[in-house]
Amino acid sequence: MRMLVPAILVLLSLLVAPATGPTFAAPARDTLVYVADISDMISLDPAVAYEFSGILVAQNAYDTLVAFEGEDLTTLKPRLAQSWKITDAGSTWKVTFTLRQGVKFSTGRPLTAKAVAFSFDRVIGLNKSPAFLFKDVAGLKEGDTKALNDRTVEVTLPKTASPQAFLSVLTFTVGAVVDPDEAMAHATGGDRGEAWLRNHSAGTGPYVLERWDSESRAVLAANANYWGAKPKVSRVVIQHVPESSTQKFMVESGDADIAANLTPEQARELTGKADVKVQKGRLLQLVYVGMNAKHAPLDKVQVREAIRWSIDYDGIVRSLLRGEARKVQTIIPEGLFGFNASAPFQANVARAKALLAEAGLPNGFSTELLVPTGPAPGGVRWADVAAKIQSDLAKSGIKVTIKETAQAQLLNIYRAQKGQLVMILWGPDFPDPDGNVTPFTDYAAKSIAWRNQYEDATAAKLAKQAALEPDPAKRKALYKELTDRILHQGPYVILYQPTTRFALRKSVQGFVWNPMAFAEFKTVSK
Amino acid sequence: MSRYILGRIASMGLVLLGVSVLTFFIAHVVPADPVLVALGEHARDDQIEAYRKAYGLDRPVPIQFVTYLGRLARGDLGVSIRTRRPVADDLGEFMPATVELGGAAWLVALLLGIPAGILSAVYKDRIFDHLSRLGALAGASLPVFWLGLVLLGIFYYRLQWFPGPGRFDIVLSPPQVRSGLLVVDAALARDGAALRNALGHLALPALTLGLFSTAVIARMTRSAMLEVLYQDYVRTARAKGLQERRVIVLHALKNAMIPTMTIIGISFGSLLSGAVLTETIFAWPGLGRYATASAVSLDFPAVMGVTLVVALLYTVVNLLVDLIYARLDPRVRYG
Amino acid sequence: MPASTPASATDRLPLKRARRGRGRDIVRAARRSPLAAAGAGVVIVYALLAVAAPILAPHAPVTQFLEHRLDPPSRAFPLGLDQLGRDILSRILYGARLSLIIGLVVVVLGGVVGTAVGITAGFVGGRLDNVMMRITDVFFAFPSLILAMAIAAALGPSLTNTMVAIAIVTWPVYARLSRAQTLVLRRLEFVEAARAMGLTDVRIIVRHVLPNALSPLIVQASFNMGEAILIAAGLSFIGFGAQPPTPEWGVMVSEGRDYITTQWWVPTIPALAILLAVTGFNLLGDGLRDLMDPRMRRR
Repeated sequence: MRMLVPAILVLLSLLVAPATGPTFAAPARDTLVYVADISDMISLDPAVAYEFSGILVAQNAYDTLVAFEGEDLTTLKPRLAQSWKITDAGSTWKVTFTLRQGVKFSTGRPLTAKAVAFSFDRVIGLNKSPAFLFKDVAGLKEGDTKALNDRTVEVTLPKTASPQAFLSVLTFTVGAVVDPDEAMAHATGGDRGEAWLRNHSAGTGPYVLERWDSESRAVLAANANYWGAKPKVSRVVIQHVPESSTQKFMVESGDADIAANLTPEQARELTGKADVKVQKGRLLQLVYVGMNAKHAPLDKVQVREAIRWSIDYDGIVRSLLRGEARKVQTIIPEGLFGFNASAPFQANVARAKALLAEAGLPNGFSTELLVPTGPAPGGVRWADVAAKIQSDLAKSGIKVTIKETAQAQLLNIYRAQKGQLVMILWGPDFPDPDGNVTPFTDYAAKSIAWRNQYEDATAAKLAKQAALEPDPAKRKALYKELTDRILHQGPYVILYQPTTRFALRKSVQGFVWNPMAFAEFKTVSK
Repeated sequence: MSRYILGRIASMGLVLLGVSVLTFFIAHVVPADPVLVALGEHARDDQIEAYRKAYGLDRPVPIQFVTYLGRLARGDLGVSIRTRRPVADDLGEFMPATVELGGAAWLVALLLGIPAGILSAVYKDRIFDHLSRLGALAGASLPVFWLGLVLLGIFYYRLQWFPGPGRFDIVLSPPQVRSGLLVVDAALARDGAALRNALGHLALPALTLGLFSTAVIARMTRSAMLEVLYQDYVRTARAKGLQERRVIVLHALKNAMIPTMTIIGISFGSLLSGAVLTETIFAWPGLGRYATASAVSLDFPAVMGVTLVVALLYTVVNLLVDLIYARLDPRVRYG
Repeated sequence: MPASTPASATDRLPLKRARRGRGRDIVRAARRSPLAAAGAGVVIVYALLAVAAPILAPHAPVTQFLEHRLDPPSRAFPLGLDQLGRDILSRILYGARLSLIIGLVVVVLGGVVGTAVGITAGFVGGRLDNVMMRITDVFFAFPSLILAMAIAAALGPSLTNTMVAIAIVTWPVYARLSRAQTLVLRRLEFVEAARAMGLTDVRIIVRHVLPNALSPLIVQASFNMGEAILIAAGLSFIGFGAQPPTPEWGVMVSEGRDYITTQWWVPTIPALAILLAVTGFNLLGDGLRDLMDPRMRRR
């Protein structure tokens, strides 16, 4: 015993020892620490990455031919392509790109037109999550992208595809250009370097991927061969911190420069603090409830309309989300071409009850609402939004049972057309209204309309017409007609368009959130 | 003795076979389709089909089971649907963090639990006994994830005594990987700063995680000590006076440690359980995070792999404990 | 998280004693072990609150006062309001019911199955015993939360599935305990005598073995109640718990945890409720064990 006590004391002091010195210094000036929940990171290969965090990394390590810069999603800017033009070749469209001169990959090899063709074909050949953007949206096959010479790339599109939509797709990481020699040097078993590129990079972007430890961090280091202006911070650490409370602790103590997943309450508490500022970020996502249009009684238009008239949208936006969202009720979010600001619905129990009576259900009915687990966009939990909707619908006599389901299981049920009410979010894959309109309206696209068993030939026809319409004024009119139609006919309750918020150290400058849900770190300084 | 060891190892093999059957069974009760998790909301039918084929999910369950066992025998845990990497590689990457955290938490539990138990027994029914028992029980009754957040809030955020979440300071580069245990690697590299940093990061999660086992160990130590302390020879010694009593207490301690040993082995299981929750709060990249993420996305191969490996780890630890126990206590040698 | 383990519970083999004097024992035990008495007190109060929740709760647990969302404790809402403007006091009271139900269902389900398996295995012996015990070995090879998580993931999140998962995790403890008891009892004179008198096995088990094997099982059940509440909270944290808007304590802590820095009461009050209830059951279990252990009693 006499020995035991000192032994314990010594060991305990060892444990406490680090507390005595200055154990943690703020990150060095040339390192930016970005804390976020990055548990969705699966691959950093631009032909595979399709998750928010993976895209965030890939956007900074690779370049696309064209890009939308900052918050502007309407003006296409040159990136690797200096210029481009669309020509009508009779039965096809030809899109020709002239590449920027003097661009090198981080590996030191020069960028060539062949590399572009390789990268596009690689996406199609690997056929991973983002491949449909090339295969389905743009109708591309392997071999449709040709290198005319070292600096000229020609892409042949079928007439069923919209060249404008294709250019929008090209701003997404799916259109990133990969160094073919590097990728093929690491290829195993015909994977065109997929396994290697999962956690390495071979692009022309301002940063190279230094390391990625799963569930821990991804580290970007400045690319010495970058063609543009040198990034202001030479290292970016994207650190995995799943808890928002912990993220808040870290940015307040200076261990992190930017925290990405704060709740509106946490952000409010930080407003006015000396060392931290809060910045909002726009998003193109929509949080909505899908109603299965073949599942009685949801098959009745009046019932769907009654549900839309039952929900207290303002309560959700103003109280639950503290105003950090926009009340949007059509299927095109604000920020995309064709946005329709019409928002007629608000909580109106009398009207909802009248509609239910009209549908032959004066006493209401019972139904089931599927919601994902975890936080919803906007900073509350899915479960809380669901509980709010449940209590709103109860006032109209609609009894809702909430089923909180892991996203995987939820999608499974939804895709099998077996949901009744399903609450989830949708974000467009590329910043063009067609990225929302076709999935929401075209049953044949086997996307959202299909999952809700909503077959509407008129809507599908309008969607196709609008997607290919080159004249902006006519296109706008078509989208107005279509969104107005879906607003009342469709099987959706659009709840809100969320915004996101970041806590930044006061010294951090130049951080811009792209509404497509990523940021370019090259503009950030601290 | 060697016969005993061989027997134990043989029965362990049997248990592990049962474990793999059970994990497979659980994984295949799942009504959902894991392929969709991997491919996400926008997946097309042809992609789904290709995936199903690639992972053998299109074959009948009994055949899947046979292939699964066959691969297991070769040490192949299959490919994770979520991360698209061999499960064994994933586990190899996440295991060291959990071993380090679990080991540290164990140490905390032993250092706090055994002395508390001893003192509780020696001062039975006095204030110290009551307080330590109450404290221990309360420690074992808290939701770990809440405790973790509160400890972070107090000791990291308010007092700044300890560094924040994660295994290592974000901006420092960790020591060269040898064992994967940062503390050990830092010590091997003779890097004092790195060692202090790693230890600092370890302290709060280890305390959070260790508190539960502390309670269990304290309780067992106390009752084992009481048992021994009230035996005749101790009473006699006690009657003779203080000096001798001290000797006996030490003697008693040795005997009391024998039953405590088993509970120490078993408490390792609760550490692994608690790691699932603690790792999320402290952003600790270990098996617990991996297990949760896999379970949430219904990644069968990963869930099976992680439960199997955790069960193996737990079984081996208990086997070692039992062997030590058998050495200490001759009565169980042929038990 | 084995609150009590087979090793710690089998290390004594208390036999059932005469009923006489038990009441006095309780008083004496309470005096000797105030902690155990406190545990019993907490458990009783908790059970009463749970039963009387509909009378005591000022509001329905799901009523939303959105305009008062996240208000701190006040006279109207003594424990404050949560992120949807629901009265936390009412939710805690109704949550007590749920936790009590979770604990009881788990104990009854796991206890009955486990005890049946254990007594049968111990009584019949031979190959059956061997097989049964190997099966419990398999279950013991898993840390409890990890196994429960895998099961809950497979079954899908719901309160019922949570209880099933926890029961599956806990039954082997009862099996081992009751088997150990049965092995000892089987050789005792009164069982031998009953057998000589020609009683059937089932009758012997029900009349003689079960009542005498009960004490350690009751102790275990008390620990198990607390354990079940904790595992349920852990499962809720991962996302496999009760469905919203159910006021289950674990869900309340887990969903309220984002507010810990801004509105501390939202996660803290349910966490304290869990702490109190589980401590109560653990103290009670400790006390019962002392009480039922003849060797401890002599001192």
